[in-house]
Parts: sequence; structure tokens; C-alpha cells
Amino acid sequence: MSIKVQDTRYKDITARSILYAVLVIAAIYYLAPLFLMIITSFRSMDEIRVGQLIEWPKSFSLDAWAAAWNQVQIGAREELGLKPYFINSIKMVIPSVAISTLLGALNGYVLSFWKFRGSEIFFALLLAGCFLPFQAILLPHSIVLGKLQLTGTVSGLVMTHVIYGVAFTTLFFRNYYVNLPGELIKAAKLDGAGFWMIFYRIILPLSTPIIVVSVIWQFTQIWNDFLFGVVFSDPDSQPVTVGLNNMVNSTTGEKRYNVDMAGAIIAALPTVIVYVVAGKYFVRGLTAGSVKG
Amino acid sequence: MAGLIIDNVQKSFGQTHILKGIDLEIPDGEFVILVGPSGCGKSTLLNCIAGLEEVTSGRILMGDTDMTHAAPKDRDIAMVFQSYALYPNMNVRKNIAFGLEIRKMPKAEIDEIVNNVAKLLQIENLLDRKPSQLSGGQRQRVAMGRSLARQPEVFLFDEPLSNLDAKLRVEMRTEIKKLHQRLGTTIVYVTHDQIEAMTLADRIAVMKAGHVQQFGTPQQVYDDPANMFVAGFMGSPSMNFLRVEVGQNGDDYHVLIASEGHTYQLPCPKAQGDLSGYVGKDVILGIRPEQLTHVMPHVEEGEFVTKVPVKIEVTEPTGADTLVLTRINDEECECRVHPAEAGQPGEMMDILFNMDKAVFFDIETEDRI
Repeated sequence: MSIKVQDTRYKDITARSILYAVLVIAAIYYLAPLFLMIITSFRSMDEIRVGQLIEWPKSFSLDAWAAAWNQVQIGAREELGLKPYFINSIKMVIPSVAISTLLGALNGYVLSFWKFRGSEIFFALLLAGCFLPFQAILLPHSIVLGKLQLTGTVSGLVMTHVIYGVAFTTLFFRNYYVNLPGELIKAAKLDGAGFWMIFYRIILPLSTPIIVVSVIWQFTQIWNDFLFGVVFSDPDSQPVTVGLNNMVNSTTGEKRYNVDMAGAIIAALPTVIVYVVAGKYFVRGLTAGSVKG
Repeated sequence: MAGLIIDNVQKSFGQTHILKGIDLEIPDGEFVILVGPSGCGKSTLLNCIAGLEEVTSGRILMGDTDMTHAAPKDRDIAMVFQSYALYPNMNVRKNIAFGLEIRKMPKAEIDEIVNNVAKLLQIENLLDRKPSQLSGGQRQRVAMGRSLARQPEVFLFDEPLSNLDAKLRVEMRTEIKKLHQRLGTTIVYVTHDQIEAMTLADRIAVMKAGHVQQFGTPQQVYDDPANMFVAGFMGSPSMNFLRVEVGQNGDDYHVLIASEGHTYQLPCPKAQGDLSGYVGKDVILGIRPEQLTHVMPHVEEGEFVTKVPVKIEVTEPTGADTLVLTRINDEECECRVHPAEAGQPGEMMDILFNMDKAVFFDIETEDRI
């Protein structure tokens, strides 16, 4: 009697190798531009001028970063560099994220546990806000801001981002809360807790994963927004995305690639940091909202 | 302490009528079980009593207070849920104390109550754990502890044991019964498990399709069912239903059954129903498997006992007894015999039909005769 050998080891190794090769190529393809940006930002303009665009830096200097941060002249502004724009962005993004997340949590709580007549229709209408193309509302919204005398202010931008962010945050929280057992709310009601008490003491403490999702989502959306920033702001209230655009486009004479690269990285850094810090909660929270029964 | 009166309570969700007029009068301290198949409205009724659902019409009284439109927190009711509904973000101590904190009880008093409850339920060593670190049985205890802490007038239990494994379920069943004997609080308990209902209840309300079919002690419901539904629902293995013809001999009535081509007359006790209007017609004979036994001399002498040879189709040993499936009047019929007396499938066997506790139902209405 002969024994048949079932050995799939070589086949497995080959398949793995091909898979990893594809992944490595894809990773290089996506990381190369970032790498290029970083090394260019540390090179001096002299070096860039005489050499290749893609070249290992011969000298290392932080001059371009300093210039982008607070030395370069942007437009006709008195204050130099991206710094004032960066501060505007922070002043805009923190209240926008906080308010839209809190409102989303409240909306989701009501739509999941305190249903009222027409609450399903209300939710469906709110969801339509997720699919609204933002350029469609620029004109009407600018009239609204004008009437409220918020045109060209950071507060106006905050209000805009809260209104158009609440559709997404509500969706996140509502989909997360429908998976919480309704008996929890019944038990709390019998224990004597009211609407707000249940929200603060029971629901919010259970919401950490979805709060993280909402914060990351809103932070990146609002920080990276250009359209609202460019349309609804004055030079004094422009966010960093607009500042970066102005910086790159308003230089006269020589194009300073190293300063542009440093500025772009500065403008993108906060979202990268948020991802690195809370990224694993983001993935966990997204799946918790959809899969967990 | 307070009794509970449910007066013609109806509940509809849009066009769907869930409760169609429920009347129950529950004296103070009674343990009442609502039992019925899924969708019969028993959980809805419990939610109405708790105030978590508004009734469509009717009244709910606790003691002599009309609570029909009171908020859940004002009803002095505690409820244990099927999923336990422990607050996942709080440890056991906080879970038990939550209701007391909301009622603004002084801290020292809360601590005392929590410790007493923990001692009563033997969960003292679990007080600092989160619910996720507890086993099913421990969660069950904590859920009961949470409702005990408030010392409510009425306890509601919504299928509290159905998430536990079989062995633990029997243990907790005994615990709940002990607890009731100790506290003497009114309890309304929902289950679909008729054994739970039989073992725990002072009285059972059997529900079907939004109506209470029968409300009585476990023995009444078992021996004296109001209709075929109650008779079939209570008891395991369930009651045999045979379509039989009624005959008359002078003053006495009997029913006719056929087994393997022979016809037998089973005399019927008068106490079990007046068959005078049904002579020559068919009725449904309801007889429980334990009334159909192997031949035992002391039983055989009974006035309403008849020996019938039957053919065994299937045997199901349960250890204590063996269930023998046979065919009477061309319908399946289960008998409960001693394991040593049971034959093999295909063999003939003598079975004693004891009609002492037989019941009869009208074919049309399915009500008791």
C-alpha cells in the first residue's frame, strides 16, 4: 500500500510571496510622495535648484519649516507664515468637533430610544444631509450667515461645520445605539432615571468607541475642508487649508519647493497625529457599530 | 406591600391588538405566573404593569391607587429582565445602588442596603466586578439584587431564567421561590416554560392571543383545564387528545375507543363532566399519559379503569418512566409505564386506561364539557 503525501507547503509559500510582493509595491507607490515631501522640506533651495528633484539631501536644515511656519509672506497679510491660519483652524475645529459630536450623540440617543411619531422620517431626512453636495448650499448658506452677521468669522465657520457634520455624527451614534439592548433603558427608567440622567450616566459612558469614530471623522473632515474655508471666511478667519493654498500660489519669483513641502506637511500634521493616536479605536468603533449584534 | 388589580386592560399597536381585555386580581403577596406561547401578549402585559407601555384602555391599580397613567418610577415596581440589563459601565455595587442614588438616599443608608442585599444573594465577593466579568448565574443574582435593593411593592420578572443553562435554571428557580417565601412581596413572573410555571406559582394565568384562558392554582390548571389549549399547554409530555364517540348504559356514560381492530368501552365518571347531551356524538377525550399505565393490581380494581391491549409503536425511556407511543382510534397516544414493563416496538402490551381524571372537550368550541 502506498501512502499519498498531501504537502501544500511550497504552494502556500509561493502564494504568500506573491501576495507580499504586491502589498510592498502598493505601499511604496503610496508612500513615495510622502517620502519625497519630507526629504525636500529638509533640503536647501540651492541644492534643489542645481540637483534632481528626487535626490538624497546633502544638507539638513529646518529653514524651510521655520519659513513656512512664521516667515513667509502670504498675500498682503501683516502676520507672516502659516501660523495665524493654523491657529484659526484650531479655533474652528475644536468647537465644531465637540458640538457636532455631542449633538450627534443626543440625536442618536433620541432616535434609538425615545422614538416619536415620524422619527423614522426625521432620520431619513437627516441622512439626506450626508449626500448633499456642499457646493449646492454655498449661496443659500452665505445668505444665512449674512443675516446672522457671522460672515467672515470663525464662529460662522463653526456653525457651518456643525450643521453639515451633524448628519454624519447622528448616523454614527444612531447605528451604534440601536445595538445596545433596549432593556437597559427600561431598567434605568424603573430605577427612576429620566431622559438626561440615562444619557449621562448610562449611554454616554458606553459610547467611547463611537465617540472616537465621530471625533476622528469630524476632525479630518473639518480640518481638511477647503470649500467652506475659502468661501465663508475673511483673511482674518481663513483656515490653514486656505492659507497653504495662498502661500503656494502667491509667491513671486522663484518657486520655493522646500517651503511649500514643509507648509503642506504642517497643514496635514494634526490629522496624521489624530489617526496615529486614535486609529485603532477608529477601526474598532466602525466595526462595533455595524457588525456587533 | 400591595395587591395588584388589572381591570379590562387592552393594548394595541396601531391595528395590531395585543391585549384584548385582561382581568386579573392579584392579592398582596401572591406569586402569579403569566404563561403562554410566544406572542400571546404576556410580556406586553408585564410592560404595561411596569408603565413602560401605555395601556390603550382599562385600569391598573396597586393597592387602592390607580396607577394606570403613573410614570414607571412612581409605581414602586422593580423588574428583572431576560437579558438582566445590568449597566455595563458600572460595577455590581454601583448597579445595585443606582436606583437608590437617583432617589437621593443618604450614602450610609445606600451602603447598608447594598451590603444586606449582597449578603442575601451571596454576591458579597462580586461587588467590585463589572457585569462583563460575571457568569450568567451571577448576573442573574445581581439583577435580582438591583430590584431587591429598592424594596418595591411589586416585583416583575420577564423570563429571568431563559438565558441560563438547564442545571442553573433549576437552582435559580428554587432560589426565587425561597426569596418569595422570605420576602412575601407580590410577584408577577412571565415565562413560556410550563414547568417553571407549575413549580413556582401560587396561581397561573395561562394566556393565548391576548386573552387569559384560565387563572387558577397550578393543580387546578393541570387537573381541571378550562379548554383544550390550557390542557395541551400545561404538562409534559402533553395530554393525549382522542376523538371518541359517547355511549350510554342506563344512567352511566362511556366513550368508545378502538385498538388493533377491537372496540372497548371506557366508563366515564359523572364528576368529570355531564355527557348527557353528547350521546351518539363525538367529543374530544383528554387524558394525560400518567393515566395510561402498565397493569398494576391496585389500579386495575378501580371503577373507571379498563384494560386495553395496544400495539407499541415507539418507546422513549426517560429513566424514571418509559413513554410508550401507541395508536388509539387511529391517533397517536402516549402512555407512561414502568421501564421494566415496557415492551419492544411492534409488540402488544396491556395498558390500563384510568378515567378518574379524564376530561372532555366539545369538538366545535374546544371548551370543557
